[in-house]
Amino acid sequence: MVKRKSAGDWVFDIVNISIMLLIVLATLYPFITSIAISLNDANDTVRGGITFYPRVFTLLNYELIFQNPLVLNAYTITIARTVIGTITALFFTSLFAFGMAHNNLVGKKLYTALCIIPMYFSGGLIPFFFLIRSLGLMNNFWVFIIPGLVGVWNMILMRTYFKGIPISLEESARIDGANYLTVFFRIILPISTPIIAAIALFIGVGQWNAWFDAAIFITRDELKPMQNILLSVISEAQFAQQMAQFAAEGGGALPGDIGRGAARVNIRSITMATMTVTILPILAIYPFLQKYFIKGIMVGSLKG
Amino acid sequence: MKPASVALNVPIIIQKKKNIITEFLKQIDLQFLVIPAIIHILIFSFIPMYGIIMAFQDFRIGDFPGMSEWAGVRHFVALLADPNFVLVLRNTVVISILKLLIIFPLPIIFAIMLNEVTSKHFKKTVQTISYLPHFISWVVAATLMFDFFSVDGGAVNTALLSLGLIERPIHFFGRSEYFWAMAVITDIWKVLGWNSIIFFAAISAVDSELYEAAEIDGAGRYSKMWHITFATIRPTVILLLVFTVGNLLNVNFEQIMTLTNQMGNAALRETADIISTYVFRIGLGQSRFSFAAAAGLVGSVINVTLLLIANKIAARSGNEVF
Repeated sequence: MVKRKSAGDWVFDIVNISIMLLIVLATLYPFITSIAISLNDANDTVRGGITFYPRVFTLLNYELIFQNPLVLNAYTITIARTVIGTITALFFTSLFAFGMAHNNLVGKKLYTALCIIPMYFSGGLIPFFFLIRSLGLMNNFWVFIIPGLVGVWNMILMRTYFKGIPISLEESARIDGANYLTVFFRIILPISTPIIAAIALFIGVGQWNAWFDAAIFITRDELKPMQNILLSVISEAQFAQQMAQFAAEGGGALPGDIGRGAARVNIRSITMATMTVTILPILAIYPFLQKYFIKGIMVGSLKG
Repeated sequence: MKPASVALNVPIIIQKKKNIITEFLKQIDLQFLVIPAIIHILIFSFIPMYGIIMAFQDFRIGDFPGMSEWAGVRHFVALLADPNFVLVLRNTVVISILKLLIIFPLPIIFAIMLNEVTSKHFKKTVQTISYLPHFISWVVAATLMFDFFSVDGGAVNTALLSLGLIERPIHFFGRSEYFWAMAVITDIWKVLGWNSIIFFAAISAVDSELYEAAEIDGAGRYSKMWHITFATIRPTVILLLVFTVGNLLNVNFEQIMTLTNQMGNAALRETADIISTYVFRIGLGQSRFSFAAAAGLVGSVINVTLLLIANKIAARSGNEVF
């Protein structure tokens, strides 16, 4: 059947596509322009007008930030917490989900209740803070790993997936004498790539982007992850902005303004370089990620 | 077996009890998969629950958790009398409702509209790009937004100035009266794509034959969009709505913290302070633990109440979640 497009249809399509393009532009523009500024000479950036590409290309901003030993250190911390945190959390959560997927699990109702209750009742930030302190996890790298070992949402998604696996596979293995661990690693895991990949992605991104735990539990500089370095940098940038606005609104020229002016420029370039470095791995693997997280969400939610 | 058991109850009970423990031990290797996680949950989710009791006590450092001096509802009374808290409550409610009214429908509209585009390639590309802001932290998002709306050469101000719409740059993140709008705008930027995923998934489940049948019956484009596309995803919408309302007062803590320099920006505090940032400042910052716990509890109770109400309303149309 041939579909004839009316004039109204054409208008709709044009408007629709225009809106979509606008959304794409609004989404990408901050990224593109920030990266462009990071690659642009700081003194040139002051003149304004940098949009999609650097006018005066330079890698100096990156050189400058990597000269700070704190940055390289923070990057190591971020990578370490992401890798270790993801693998350990995956391990514990998937085993948990696998166990919970068994209908014959003694105490399953109790366990499920224990999972659901904290979703509605929480003691809040302060008792959690005290708990971390009592466990000796303050200023300790493991505070990034241990509290996150079991995620109930992730467990539920994985459990849904495991429940969809025919029980005959497990039963025949157990008849052959395999214990549950062997069943999991030898049989279940190899056919669970979609959900494992999706959950690994969620946990990994969560670890890479985490900053609040470091903000309140870590005071030692050498344990600060990259996000917190960026946080310090933008706090400075905002401070400089306040000063600029104050001066612009006739608050009087402050003696420090002249120095601030130059510092402000460099702060912008430094800020953008720091930010780009912080999101680089995410941007790099992003195009390849889509199929994994889409599949993961669909598998987890549609079946449930 | 059965007749004997009717005469004597006791052996059955003993037998049953033994069964649970024997059953447990028989599958101990299965239990070992689960028990570490349960212990983890007990430690990290249940132990801190004494914070709920803390709201009714006078907690001091060194007190054994949950065993402090009893204070009854004193903190709650003090909370309601505290103009700061009333302000905080107002901000939380306003921001939450704004987000509900604006940010909740947009991903749905986005999904339905994008679905109308015929090119699969275009759809996929737009979707992929739209998810990107979800994968960055709020620290990075704040960085981008600060620069985008910056007074000093930021894209928005530069555009507005060159178009002659304003004479002096607007300090978007510096004045409290703009904050609510900025919170909503930046949040839309960050979540539009990601929140639409679930609706795209629901739309893909629509039977395409329905569209053809409607076409034959003479249905126009908008009619199809409403009666088929939206009607099919309605259960998903309601499900998500219930959850959103139940979480209503959990205004995004990370977003507010990063956009206000961790509450360091005093100029914004009047409109930006929400329950969770208030708890953070008063509790960890000023060490008024029980008071802060009371504030947090008020927020939680409101949330649970809203959740139950929303679920009841959804139940009327046969779409209850619980």
